[in-house]
Amino acid sequence: MEVIKNKLEKILLKATKPARYIGGEIGSVIKDRDKVDVRFAFCFPDTYDVGMSHLGMKILYGLKNNVPNWWCERVFMPEKDFEALMRENDIPLYGLESLDPIKDFDFIGFTLQYELSYNNVLQMLDLAGLPVLAKERTALTPLVVGGGPCVCNPEPMSDFFDLFILGEGEEVNLELLRLYEKMKPSNPTKEEFLREAAKIEGIYVPSFYDVEYNEDGTVKSITPNVPEAPARIKKRIIADFDKVYYPDSFVVPFSEIVHDRSVVEVLRGCIRGCRFCQAGFIYRPFREKNIDTIKNETKSLCEQTGYEEVSLSSLSTSDHTRINELLLSLSEYTDGENVNLALPSLRLDSFNEELLERIQAVRKSGLTFAPEAGTQRLRDVINKNITEDEIISTCKMAFEWGYTQVKLYFMMGQPTETDDDIRGIAELSDKILQLYYDTPKEKRGRSVQIAVSTATFVPKPFTPFEFEPQATEAEIKHKQDILKSAVTSKKIRLSLHYSNTSVLEAVLARGDRRISKVIYTAWKKGCYMDSWDEHFKFDKWLEAFEENGIDTAFYANRTRSYDEVAPWSHLDYLVSHEFLVRENKKAHLAQTTRNCKEGCSGCGIKPECGGVYCGGKKTST
Amino acid sequence: MAEKRLQPKNVDLRPDRYDRRVVYEKCGRAKYISHLDLMRAMQRAIKRAKLPIWYTQGFNPHIYIMFPLTLSLGFESRVEIMDFALLEDIPNEEVRERLDAQMPEGMRIVSCAAPVHSHTEITHADYSVRISSDETPAKMAELFEDFMGREVIEIQKRTKKGTYKPVDIKPSLDVRGVSYDDKYLSLEMRLPAGGGFNLNANVAAEAFLDMYGLKADEICVERTKILLENGEDFC
Repeated sequence: MEVIKNKLEKILLKATKPARYIGGEIGSVIKDRDKVDVRFAFCFPDTYDVGMSHLGMKILYGLKNNVPNWWCERVFMPEKDFEALMRENDIPLYGLESLDPIKDFDFIGFTLQYELSYNNVLQMLDLAGLPVLAKERTALTPLVVGGGPCVCNPEPMSDFFDLFILGEGEEVNLELLRLYEKMKPSNPTKEEFLREAAKIEGIYVPSFYDVEYNEDGTVKSITPNVPEAPARIKKRIIADFDKVYYPDSFVVPFSEIVHDRSVVEVLRGCIRGCRFCQAGFIYRPFREKNIDTIKNETKSLCEQTGYEEVSLSSLSTSDHTRINELLLSLSEYTDGENVNLALPSLRLDSFNEELLERIQAVRKSGLTFAPEAGTQRLRDVINKNITEDEIISTCKMAFEWGYTQVKLYFMMGQPTETDDDIRGIAELSDKILQLYYDTPKEKRGRSVQIAVSTATFVPKPFTPFEFEPQATEAEIKHKQDILKSAVTSKKIRLSLHYSNTSVLEAVLARGDRRISKVIYTAWKKGCYMDSWDEHFKFDKWLEAFEENGIDTAFYANRTRSYDEVAPWSHLDYLVSHEFLVRENKKAHLAQTTRNCKEGCSGCGIKPECGGVYCGGKKTST
Repeated sequence: MAEKRLQPKNVDLRPDRYDRRVVYEKCGRAKYISHLDLMRAMQRAIKRAKLPIWYTQGFNPHIYIMFPLTLSLGFESRVEIMDFALLEDIPNEEVRERLDAQMPEGMRIVSCAAPVHSHTEITHADYSVRISSDETPAKMAELFEDFMGREVIEIQKRTKKGTYKPVDIKPSLDVRGVSYDDKYLSLEMRLPAGGGFNLNANVAAEAFLDMYGLKADEICVERTKILLENGEDFC
């Protein structure tokens, strides 16, 4: 430890924002390494500023450190300036708590939050001084494990990981580490341990499965090659969400991070079922915490961190069954403590004067909405169940309250999209702009700005659109040109985002094991930090695809038939294939599906998963 | 409704305030906390300590804290000062203890008292500087003697416009001790600080290293005193 610490002393001041690389923050957990039996490096494959904002890490960090003889530490991807300094000075990747090299830890865990962070995993393993390929790490430790939403299709990363943890981590992490703690004294081989681990529900060991391909390049079959590996691996789920572990303290960073505040998770899962949205399906069913639980967690976190802002985290906070009571109850506490209550993720249709007043109390700047599509027809296709009337009435209210900025997010390249749908984006923006001018002068703010952003749609596994092709670059360019010529007012600012990262994202999201080779080749060519524009090298990626004989269009732009074996078909995310097919067919007929609150649509989730609307336990105060 | 919104949020707060000044240490890992980050860290520490802190009385109330002198990133100190105000007259020792319990590793609250001097009375600060380079400490000591023998020591100081202008730092350089061991050259310096002209100890050290083309391995700086015009400690 002293060695790394001394080396750091000499280089830290040469790095930008060095406080990110030395630990010592309030809330970080320091243990006596001689009294610890299991050491876990929780790696977030992006920079400190991004990773420290991630709620899942805070939960699992607290969960593991709650066990006296386990020590979980934080590890992030250094910025390139500091990475160069580390390599120059022979400093391997280390844990921020102990400053010990992570290659000596028992576990190295990565959370896979977005596809473009995949190559950082390789870079971090390399920086730790470890072979990136799982088969070259023959010793028992460190075991390289992965979790997070992207492991719903981890196949492109299967060459690099020893095992994946599917679904919610609060229970299965404990089971996995307990198994390790139990087996460690008998010095098992890596394979012996992995075979036992494969018996735990939610643990997927990719090397225990053989994949065969058809002549047309699609997957033929995925079959286990050891008796311990189940044919289908089921994601884990916390049925009693109100009782789930939640940390009573956060690590409070010194340097400013992306979301620098307390965060309390109020509900998990989503009732809506927007057909493009992966989170809306893989986190099902909808479960929520009781108001008292939320209030206690808020209070204890605010007291421990000293943060002046607390944010409620969920996919759609206004879907909490007792949202008004919840806000009233929470604001009693936060107002008294000079703490801001932030409410991201509110649905447009949930806006009412009361809610607006709450947000108003914090800051009056802009409102951000995501209609996602410009016409009602296309909104019905994607099952984004908001109507134009709702959009209009909310914006009208906002302007009357003096708001001057409205941000609108749209997606381009969604299934069945026509040029008229694109022109609809401009028409909707014009209507909203006109609302401002219709607002009496004494009520409205001084000027107005409508910011319209578009992103390229990326089809994801476990959504009704997993069968859909992604629009090609040429198609997107065409759509963008139409939108540009349709928008005439200077008050409407267009940011048309097209980046080649969408193509890569599409390939990585629905790729199979053959993509591992491409990732490896691209990494060898210097591709990592791909989510950062300044570091993204699409030409190198294209070379990597070419050298491995992989056609991006096969993965990104092909319509997949309903009976094709998906690369992730051996993973069970509880939502049934039949439901996804049904939803896809309805999308093409522009038919909407009711949300879970209005009535069950038979997605396949069983009542015992604890969903509020699945016949599970109802919430109480 | 509109009138209600135009009022500062906490206008009904009690106006009574009890000013406090704490002396704190910032060493070890904590020396990498930048000044801006330190502001936030201290505000949060005060909230965690549940001290009845006085908020500014404006439209956007925030915890009122003041630092008379910034400490450069990477410097250590045992004499740093922070001012704030309380709404209740809590005993100094209790304030010190409660705040100290909330300090991150490397930081400690040394004392708490009512402020005596005004920030504008600060004129100088003392620094201990340890330098290691590609030259031996003995040779560095020799060169430093030559350095101090110069009539003029010109450095390029960055102006607010972003341009550089030459400044002679010789008159501001009050070196009160030079020694060395087998690793470091150690300097005790008194430099101008406060509202007027400031000279950063690192700048002085680098002026020396640059003049003789030495390549720094490590420059460790500790602020040891904050002083008034008459040489007394600021408190």
